[in-house]
Amino acid sequence: MRLRYLTQSPPSLPNRPNKRPVTATAHREFLLELLSGGSGLFLALFMWGHMLLVGSILTGQRGFDWMANTLEDYYIAQPTVIIIFGLFLLHAVLASRKIPAQLRDRAALKKLARDLRPHEESLLWIWQVRTGMAVLVLGSFHIILLALDVLTPLFGDRSGIEAVTSIARVRAGLWLPYAILLICVEFHASVGLYRLAIKWGGGSRVSRNTLRRIEKLLLWFFLGLGAVVLLVLAGVVPAPLEFLVAVEAV
Amino acid sequence: MSKQMTSVPRHLTFEIFRFNPHEPDGEPHMQRFEIEETPYMSLFIALNKIRETQDPSLQFDFACRSAICGSCGMMVNGKPSLGCRTLTADLPELIRLQPLPVFKLIGDLSVDTGVWFREMAQSTEAWIHAKEAFDPQADEQRMDDELANTLYESDRCIECGCCVAACGVARITKDFKGPAGLNRIARFMMDPRDERGDQDWFEVIANKDGVFACLGMMACHDICPKELPLLEVYAYLRRKALTTKSRDD
Repeated sequence: MRLRYLTQSPPSLPNRPNKRPVTATAHREFLLELLSGGSGLFLALFMWGHMLLVGSILTGQRGFDWMANTLEDYYIAQPTVIIIFGLFLLHAVLASRKIPAQLRDRAALKKLARDLRPHEESLLWIWQVRTGMAVLVLGSFHIILLALDVLTPLFGDRSGIEAVTSIARVRAGLWLPYAILLICVEFHASVGLYRLAIKWGGGSRVSRNTLRRIEKLLLWFFLGLGAVVLLVLAGVVPAPLEFLVAVEAV
Repeated sequence: MSKQMTSVPRHLTFEIFRFNPHEPDGEPHMQRFEIEETPYMSLFIALNKIRETQDPSLQFDFACRSAICGSCGMMVNGKPSLGCRTLTADLPELIRLQPLPVFKLIGDLSVDTGVWFREMAQSTEAWIHAKEAFDPQADEQRMDDELANTLYESDRCIECGCCVAACGVARITKDFKGPAGLNRIARFMMDPRDERGDQDWFEVIANKDGVFACLGMMACHDICPKELPLLEVYAYLRRKALTTKSRDD
């Protein structure tokens, strides 16, 4: 049942004249909740944008290098990598406050999710924790690697992100951690956004089924795009959009 | 329906949690019972049949048999459900029944939801707070239809405890207000007769036992036998906290 009153912005209630002071804990909990949701939202949106930029490899090495050079020459990449790493760690710290510290409690949540099958959202939560852990490890590796690429040219004679290096890395075996990272990060982000939308009332404007469908659509789109990017980097398939930038060379 | 009437009756096996806390030597265990399924058999009918024909000491609660009293909540194959409106035809031949977790066990399938709900009601002061004494002679205060319906929607909660049993946070955190508790808070926040202000509510909502402790597993909403719009209630509380805080700053 859809209730209009619940979905409207709440009316303000009169404050009692001798109101109690709002406790520090309530303020802190509120702030932590906003920061953890907000950082997650920002990171998910960034990650999709990042995926589209990395997608420039589909136009071949020239397109990719042009994109990387532009971002570095205009000093967009350097501050971005620092800010994103900060937000990434902040989100990890804040979001992990919801994971029970005791193994016994984690086992209880796992058992509950298993008992409630086929209830999807309970299982999705468990998998969001698992993928979050994987993203923390693999994502840190990826960001630090790229931070070195982007930041060291500022201090020495070295070029930044280059298609040749990326291709060499992927072919040398990094395709495996990157493939795992891709699956985990896309799952974590799309499910996270779905849950965030439900938590703040998105489910009363659009139906929950519609939100789930949007979530799945975004998940599969970016998983597909990421998979093609990895295949191109690994040299398994040729860059499908190379003709776009190769015209002048002909 | 016709399938139920014509097919050969199934042979149902019940595995029922048995434990009487008042028996000093008692050990919690699962006990098997077997009965023939009859058409339109609910768990209420099945449990009564077992008690009448096999074990008169089996403890379980039922009162209204129509999903109104909220006393027959139990774990049915791991899922919190009302025994009176769960038909055996919708279940496999092996049915495991356990008491609702979180609540105080009285014995076997019978739990005391009253203690939990009373504590919750006391901690959230779930009653109308008004400065002026109630005047039974005065005209009733008028209320917008839509608001009245929304309040009624929240008040449809029968306190069966199924949402609490399905809630991961309630299972591992003792003081969490729980889905039913958050629903109750929202009900009084929306009520214009309640004179508690935004700041008073902010403490209750944003507190570590309030809505921000919710993990968003959404099972409470999906198993609620009365289909209360719990997810919308939480979203209301969150947005209410946001508007209160942003007005402060």
